[in-house]
Amino acid sequence: MVRKSIHSLTGKLILTIGTLMVVGSTIFWYFLFRHQEHELIQNSVKYGYSFVDYVQKSTRYGMLTFQELLIQQTIEAIGSAEGVQLVRVFACRGKIAYSSDKNDIGRLVDKNSPPCLTCHQYKSPPTEVPGWTITKDRNGFRVLNIIRPIYNEVSCYTSACHVHKKDRKILGHVEANLSLAALDKSIKNQGIAITIYVLIFLVVISVVLCTILWNFVSTPVSLLTQGMEKVAAGDLDYHLDITSKDEMGDLARAFNAMTYDLKKAKEELVEWGNTLEKKVQEKTAAIHRAQAQLIHSEKLASLGRMAAGVAHEINSPLTGIVTFGHLLLRRFPQGSQEYEDVEIIIEQANRCSSIIKGLLGFARASAAEKALTNCNDVITHSLNIVRNKADFFNIKLITELDDSLARVKADPSQLQQVFMNMIMNAADAIDGKGTITVRTRNMKDNDSDFVEIEFHDTGPGISDENLEKIFEPFFTTKPVGKGTGLGLAVSHGIIQEHGGKIIVRTKTGEGTSFFIMLPAHKEI
Amino acid sequence: MDTRRVLVIDDESIVRTSCSRTLGPEGYEVVAAQNGSEGLRLLEEGQFDLVLTDLKMPDMDGIEVLKKIKENWPQTEVIVITGYQTVETAVKSIKLGAFDYIEKPFTPDTLVAAVVKAFDKKQ
Repeated sequence: MVRKSIHSLTGKLILTIGTLMVVGSTIFWYFLFRHQEHELIQNSVKYGYSFVDYVQKSTRYGMLTFQELLIQQTIEAIGSAEGVQLVRVFACRGKIAYSSDKNDIGRLVDKNSPPCLTCHQYKSPPTEVPGWTITKDRNGFRVLNIIRPIYNEVSCYTSACHVHKKDRKILGHVEANLSLAALDKSIKNQGIAITIYVLIFLVVISVVLCTILWNFVSTPVSLLTQGMEKVAAGDLDYHLDITSKDEMGDLARAFNAMTYDLKKAKEELVEWGNTLEKKVQEKTAAIHRAQAQLIHSEKLASLGRMAAGVAHEINSPLTGIVTFGHLLLRRFPQGSQEYEDVEIIIEQANRCSSIIKGLLGFARASAAEKALTNCNDVITHSLNIVRNKADFFNIKLITELDDSLARVKADPSQLQQVFMNMIMNAADAIDGKGTITVRTRNMKDNDSDFVEIEFHDTGPGISDENLEKIFEPFFTTKPVGKGTGLGLAVSHGIIQEHGGKIIVRTKTGEGTSFFIMLPAHKEI
Repeated sequence: MDTRRVLVIDDESIVRTSCSRTLGPEGYEVVAAQNGSEGLRLLEEGQFDLVLTDLKMPDMDGIEVLKKIKENWPQTEVIVITGYQTVETAVKSIKLGAFDYIEKPFTPDTLVAAVVKAFDKKQ
């Protein structure tokens, strides 16, 4: 869509350049023309002077011998030449003595006519006078009018006729009217020719300019406009094919880059829109998980506080039961029914005491004395303790310990408590028959190094329902009197206090793995 | 000074009774106080060789009592009784001059053994 009016860029440029060229060439040609004309007139005047000189010389003999007829004939002959309109000789006082036009003879010349005024406008005649004027004839052509004085010479006042006296300076004038028609025609023709040349020149320049502007400006601009309209309408695949290395090329490349970016941004937006719902779901699930975890640890913490309070309150009455049990025991002979009864009281009180100890352990995992610890050593030690127990006779204990295991900053006795708990739980899970595997390895997660200890048993696995509760205090699947339900709660507290975590992976019928992850110490 | 005098400071009467019933037959004169300030008042009134004090009490905690005793009666030995034992409090009490600490619930044998050890040290 190209606007072909003068409001278009091309139109404005052509108009401006055209105007400048017309004005410029007009001024140039005008002055050139004026100068040429001036030169031509000067040449004509020079020619005119020669002509008058020639008239004087031709009539000189006639003058000296005073042969009026001869002079008149000579004047007539000269006056009949082409371009010579009139040749006259006037005597003093302006009386026309000879003329190419016979009717003039004897008449007086008007002193106020333009040729005469060239001298007679001054009070005393100037020594050097231009002696020529230009007038127009009836046909509108210019006429060069030249008047030259005839000076008194010795031969004039000494001639036999004695017409002129010695004291006169000027004896008369010769006047010639020479037609400049040929010159005018030539000048006119030249003017027409120059005008035509200038017009042709303007047209050629305009055409060349138009072509250049059309190719380098209008076409690319219209292509760009077209492209922008397409992009605005939503066609982001549109590509401009302007490969020139000038500003237009730069503009086109910038346009293509812009379209490409727009397309990418739009695609991203669409992609975002498509995946937004999924992302929101994922985030929501993550928030729910974090919330559940927070509630879980808050629950464990408040349970810990409660347990500590309960433990403290129960310790004192337990002291009474244990003390008075022992005091009572002394009163009965060993082996008596009473003695055995009181022993049961003391035994049960001690059981209470061990539950309390577990509770306190759960509540105060913070009082750890941390040192750089090798988990492999702690595991080996823990396994050595249980290995010789009767409960482990039918259990195969396998260790796959990583020799290059990083050390951790931990309380070894607390770690042993946790590992023992894991091993005892595994032994209970397989009911004394099966395999317990302990593995250690270095791991890396999100740029942080940690140590992973896996306790795997070949037991029946943990049901989903129980899996949620295993870390809660007092939760146990063991028979009454065998487990306190505090082992995993205490282990969880200890590992959390060490900056680690416990993860359980279980599959019904295939066994369970407890993974303990502890941050590795950065060895320098 | 033939009678060996022991002061028991505990807010729980059962603990106080347990101590006096355990240590009485062993030949100790046991006086009981149910809080820190009462214990300190009794210390001012009469001479005691050993003080058994609970750590957690309503008005003044055992650490405070321990500090006051070591300040005013440096000759009197102190055994700390705790139902809420942590390594930190144990270390802290020993550092402040306690002779020993025993954990609730304790058996009569544990208590007697600790008390005997404290008197052995005095002699």
